[in-house]
Amino acid sequence: GRPLVPAAPSVRRMARELHVDIHDVHGTGIAGRISEEDVRRQAGTPSVP
Amino acid sequence: MTKSFDFDVLVIGAGPGGYHAAIRAAQLGLKVACAEREAVGGVCLNVGCIPTKALLHAGEQIAAARHAADFGLTFGQQSLDIAKLNGWKDGIVKKLTGGVGALFKANKVTHLIGQASFVDDHTVKVGDQTYSAASIIIATGSEPAKLPGLEVDQSSIVDSTGALVMPDPVPARMLCVGGGVIGFEFAHVYNNMGAKVKIIEFLPNVIPGADADAVKEFAKIMTKQGIEIAVQTKANRAEKKADGIHVELENVKTGEKTVEVFDRVLVAVGRRPRTDGLNAQAAGVTVTERGFIPADTRQRSNVPHIYVVGDVASNPMLAHKAMKEGLVAAEVIAGKPAEQDAVAIPGVVYTSPELAWVGLTEAEAKEKGYEIKTGVFPLSASGRAMTLQATDGFVKMVVEKDTDLLLGVHIVGPHASDLLGEAGLALEMAATASDIALTMHAHPTLGESVLEAAEAVHKQAIHIMNR
Repeated sequence: GRPLVPAAPSVRRMARELHVDIHDVHGTGIAGRISEEDVRRQAGTPSVP
Repeated sequence: MTKSFDFDVLVIGAGPGGYHAAIRAAQLGLKVACAEREAVGGVCLNVGCIPTKALLHAGEQIAAARHAADFGLTFGQQSLDIAKLNGWKDGIVKKLTGGVGALFKANKVTHLIGQASFVDDHTVKVGDQTYSAASIIIATGSEPAKLPGLEVDQSSIVDSTGALVMPDPVPARMLCVGGGVIGFEFAHVYNNMGAKVKIIEFLPNVIPGADADAVKEFAKIMTKQGIEIAVQTKANRAEKKADGIHVELENVKTGEKTVEVFDRVLVAVGRRPRTDGLNAQAAGVTVTERGFIPADTRQRSNVPHIYVVGDVASNPMLAHKAMKEGLVAAEVIAGKPAEQDAVAIPGVVYTSPELAWVGLTEAEAKEKGYEIKTGVFPLSASGRAMTLQATDGFVKMVVEKDTDLLLGVHIVGPHASDLLGEAGLALEMAATASDIALTMHAHPTLGESVLEAAEAVHKQAIHIMNR
């Protein structure tokens, strides 16, 4: 089976929309949890600070 | 020039997977047809989940009426009108399948009636008519697996479909061949209705796939309720005689054979994917030796515009998995970045108490290399369980040791299937045991047992001694 990806379903969907493999994303949250911002950073399109 | 088709999407099969795919595709603006050779709603609504749960509820009420004597409530002579029971169950099925038909109409899904078979990779024959579609979704489901030596006649030797028709009178002696979910649910129904029930399972454990501790607790409770469980046992042959069905049972460990007599035998040894009449090879679709049509995580078969969802695609053969896969297939066809990426697929045995689980078992977690810790909270310490006369069972949580990330939740208890929703969401949201422990749960509820199991992971449960 696939390894546990510590990301919410909506974050996983966003990764697909941005053509990012969620397994490549470094999670910066508690217990390595992946946020929307982590996905955007991986995609090279961080949101405006 | 692009080719024009009769439909954007043609779905073959109107079971949970098929009707979810058809309705979602229509919601996304596609022109959809759904072909079905039997009744809309498929196995789940017609001869599966729904009618079984109706019988289980009826059986539970019979048992509940007996247990009411504990708090002083007694009824008159208990009597069961079996014709009325069967009719009530059939009425629920009719209402729900009618509802699916109405949803098709409301969403402008064309309902095609008849056996569908591929002519080529864009063309399907349904009955006498031929239709073309840009994308096709195969959702043909599964059927009960057969067992050599036990020929199903749907009266004395039945599969799950035959077992749904309660005979009058209720059989005195019942054998369930197969200690899986279906075997236990029917054993529970017939046991509550007065039959003496025996379950045999070929493997060393019943409910394969569930957590070993949970299965042990579950089997203990079922035995206490009067169901006899024999593991590592198989049924070789059955012979109908005047005094009942003589079944030769064999202990697969010792080779010892015995003959026991029953009034009804259920064969529930699994299900196999159904592709008969589909003519999948005409479309170039790969069917495995075991009859599955494999799909990728976007539900695509080896032919890119032909999709596969539900039982015919893969195990586990569960309605909610088929539903999710149906939605994914429809969304992928509509150009959305959907994927079957569920962290966990919940499993439930709808007996009383229920056995329900989501995520990794303790054994699976260890096998995957996780260092784990576990927490268990027994329902005997739950005030709510006491008020419900239902203190048998527990909640067990499997958690990654260092990160505290939740890996799996295993529940034996009343309404375990409903408690599973919280556990499933927690897993999908990558919750830690602390997240659950810090979430205020209403008191008194069974849901508190999930909170207390999370506390027990940290050896801080309040209502039990932590060891």
